[in-house]
Amino acid sequence: MLEIKDLHVTVGGKKILKGLTLSMKAGEVHAIMGPNGSGKSTLSYVLAGREGYEVTGGSVSYDGHNLLAMKPEERAAKGIFLAMQYPVEIPGVTTLTFLKTALNAQRRAREESELDAMNVLKLVRQKAGALQISEEMLKRALNVGFSGGEKKRLETVQLALFEPKLAILDETDSGLDIDALKLVAEGVNAMRSPKRGLLVITHYQRLLNYIEPDRVHVVADGRIVAEGGKELAQELEAKGYADLVKVPA
Amino acid sequence: MSAAPREARRAEALDSFRVRGMPHRRFEHWRYSDLRAVLDAGQVAQAGTAHWQIEGLPHGVETFDLAKDAAPEWVAKNLGYIGNRPTMEEASLAFADGGVALRVSRGARIVEPVKLQVSHTGNLRVLVVLEEGASMTLFELHTMDAGLVRNIGVELALAEGAELTHVRCAPTSPKSFLIEHIAVEAADQAHYIAHFANFGSRLSRTEVHILLNGEGAEAHLTGVTVLGAELHADVTSHVEHVAGKTLSTQLFKHVAGGKARAVYQGKITVREGANGSDSRQTAKALLMSGRAEADLKPELIIFADDVKCAHGAAVGDLDADSLFYLRSRGIPEREARKLLIHAFLEEAVAGIDDGALRDHVWRDVESALPRAMEAAK
Repeated sequence: MLEIKDLHVTVGGKKILKGLTLSMKAGEVHAIMGPNGSGKSTLSYVLAGREGYEVTGGSVSYDGHNLLAMKPEERAAKGIFLAMQYPVEIPGVTTLTFLKTALNAQRRAREESELDAMNVLKLVRQKAGALQISEEMLKRALNVGFSGGEKKRLETVQLALFEPKLAILDETDSGLDIDALKLVAEGVNAMRSPKRGLLVITHYQRLLNYIEPDRVHVVADGRIVAEGGKELAQELEAKGYADLVKVPA
Repeated sequence: MSAAPREARRAEALDSFRVRGMPHRRFEHWRYSDLRAVLDAGQVAQAGTAHWQIEGLPHGVETFDLAKDAAPEWVAKNLGYIGNRPTMEEASLAFADGGVALRVSRGARIVEPVKLQVSHTGNLRVLVVLEEGASMTLFELHTMDAGLVRNIGVELALAEGAELTHVRCAPTSPKSFLIEHIAVEAADQAHYIAHFANFGSRLSRTEVHILLNGEGAEAHLTGVTVLGAELHADVTSHVEHVAGKTLSTQLFKHVAGGKARAVYQGKITVREGANGSDSRQTAKALLMSGRAEADLKPELIIFADDVKCAHGAAVGDLDADSLFYLRSRGIPEREARKLLIHAFLEEAVAGIDDGALRDHVWRDVESALPRAMEAAK
């Protein structure tokens, strides 16, 4: 479902990704690990279509489409979802209005009928389940005054609400205490399905105790330097990244 | 009272206007709106009198048609005597052969808004007198035909404990000139709450001068300006804290696209003896095109002690992180931009208590947005 071939990306004149290649199939959970500054977040932004990331080489194919030619909103409508490390705060837009606008935009793009506020509310309640999104949270401005845990829970609720085909989770564990981490991981695990791919980006192995990957890729200096099964994550936890990062460029 | 003193005041206004003439960019507060460059005094004099209409006047509000002679005392003693008589206001007094005066008597609280509709070209006078403890909402709605010249002088006299809410909507009219001066005098504990929604003309000027004369008097001003193409809108305020323990707040949000120009000038004077006064002022502008312009000019003059004054102004573009976040959730770029503009304006509209009036302002914003979101042609 996702084929990244020899991807080169420059940000503000600086080369960040230097020939990254990765392939994943529907139904799989892949983890991308790596030290700070290795290019993990850049990869997530490039996949979601953020401006300011210049692709200087390589290709990304998603379900047979040239992903790099699509606008961010087209990618979302085609089933790509990025749970962000730092979800933005938008004063003046309530959380419910945001969810309704986003859900209906995706439904419109797929030629499905739009839902009214009541039905969106019902759906959010049903999808949120254990994630405990209160009505009070939905009435507040988007992410404004939310704790770190609340922000990540809301990202996870969106994952459940939008039902993407490919979900990219960027440092979903950052800023979470262990209880919140378990809650979010349960939310993510509930979305595992043979039709869906999950790309979990994380610095620490901790999250992977709760979301078990089929495959682990280690990124350093803009490319994949090691690959393996879930045992690779445990190895990294014990040894650290030092050995891998020293691999000659 | 006979008509003679009224005519004498009008003659005085005419002289005053003739001496001072049309304001131009060398007038300190007309720097961003050079009226004389686009309109001459003769056009104002010959514009005649604009039309006004009030549909379904709520019970408890008294009116007097200013086209009639024999004005009652409450009209005669106030008309032309509120505020500091700037030149365009003198012109409206001199040239308007009509207008409307409204009064609410002591303690009466009028819940239903008084809908004052202004149409046609010309000068016009409006006077509102609220007696002690009276309250009223004035919804001033402009109907803009193509290419008109409208110059309005509004006087608002608020007695002790009175409360006036003033919502003013001026729709887009690219070839028109719309000049309005609002003079407010507030006695002890009187409140003036205003919202100005401006959608631009060839030259549009909304100027409000507020004298917080009585202890504990308050003025709360909010407003939105949404412009595109080559439209112009200028909101200029001058709040004078004359008495102690007076409070004023201001929050203005402007959106300008195309080659539009949005102006906000906010002057606050805290006069000697107005101790314990508090004034806050914020103005922000969003520029949707590289050729749009926003001029935000705060000004503070303080002659008293123990005073709190805060002001802030900022001009910017939509936040790139927010825009990406919304688009990454499937919201198309244009819709995402619209949502963020709404979010930007929200706090300046939310303060309108009356739901129907608030909806009216949002509808006007909605219809002005497509033009404001266009780049310069």
